[in-house]
Amino acid sequence: MRPHEVFAALADPTRLEVLTRLARSGPATATELSSSMPISRQAVAKHLVALSVAGLVERHPSGREVRYSFEPGPLGDLARWADDVGDTWDRRLDRLSRSIEG
Amino acid sequence: MDEERFVELAGDIAVERAISLPADPDSVWEHLTDGNLVGDWMEGDVEIEARPGGRITMTPEDGSMVWGTVEEIIPGRRLQWSWRTDDGLPTQVEIELEPSEEGTDLTVRETLLPWKTSGLPPRWVDPPYPQAFLSAAA
Repeated sequence: MRPHEVFAALADPTRLEVLTRLARSGPATATELSSSMPISRQAVAKHLVALSVAGLVERHPSGREVRYSFEPGPLGDLARWADDVGDTWDRRLDRLSRSIEG
Repeated sequence: MDEERFVELAGDIAVERAISLPADPDSVWEHLTDGNLVGDWMEGDVEIEARPGGRITMTPEDGSMVWGTVEEIIPGRRLQWSWRTDDGLPTQVEIELEPSEEGTDLTVRETLLPWKTSGLPPRWVDPPYPQAFLSAAA
């Protein structure tokens, strides 16, 4: 999963809210999530599919239900992207500084 | 998800660095915009058309070209462009210069730009992103 795909999955406020609830309150089913949110179970289920594709939630089928849990891994990819970009600018600015002092 | 909502809520993941340089802003500006000087400190061959809408390309020593568009130029003060990095991510780079006692304070900020991944052409947008998630993951 590339950072921008994770990013796109987080770009919807309702979807972000679904993910936030899973992260804060632990695993839940679509039905449980929809009971505490102003949207239908079907709408929640759609968001869970999108989050699942982005790798941000994991599915845990149990009987007729599926529980979903928050999976922070892809957010780590974003953090690593930020580290790489930061390292690159550290090197560039170091060279710029030496080039100017040169 | 409708497009307007995407534009409104896409995020802001940014990296910022600052450095103090022993030269006045006009001299630093030359190092930012003169093609011969830029290559010395950026990684690889850089070509920059120093005007809004101008093209910026960079060919790193180890790989494929990075290309984009200059968006804002205020000589001696501010330079902004957007480009796609070699791994395909679109980002926006803002460099600002402030005169200081030592010479110049330079700040650079590189922001990851989201774009629609549907069949439409890439579309770059401005953002506010759930930073809380990033810190939670760090």
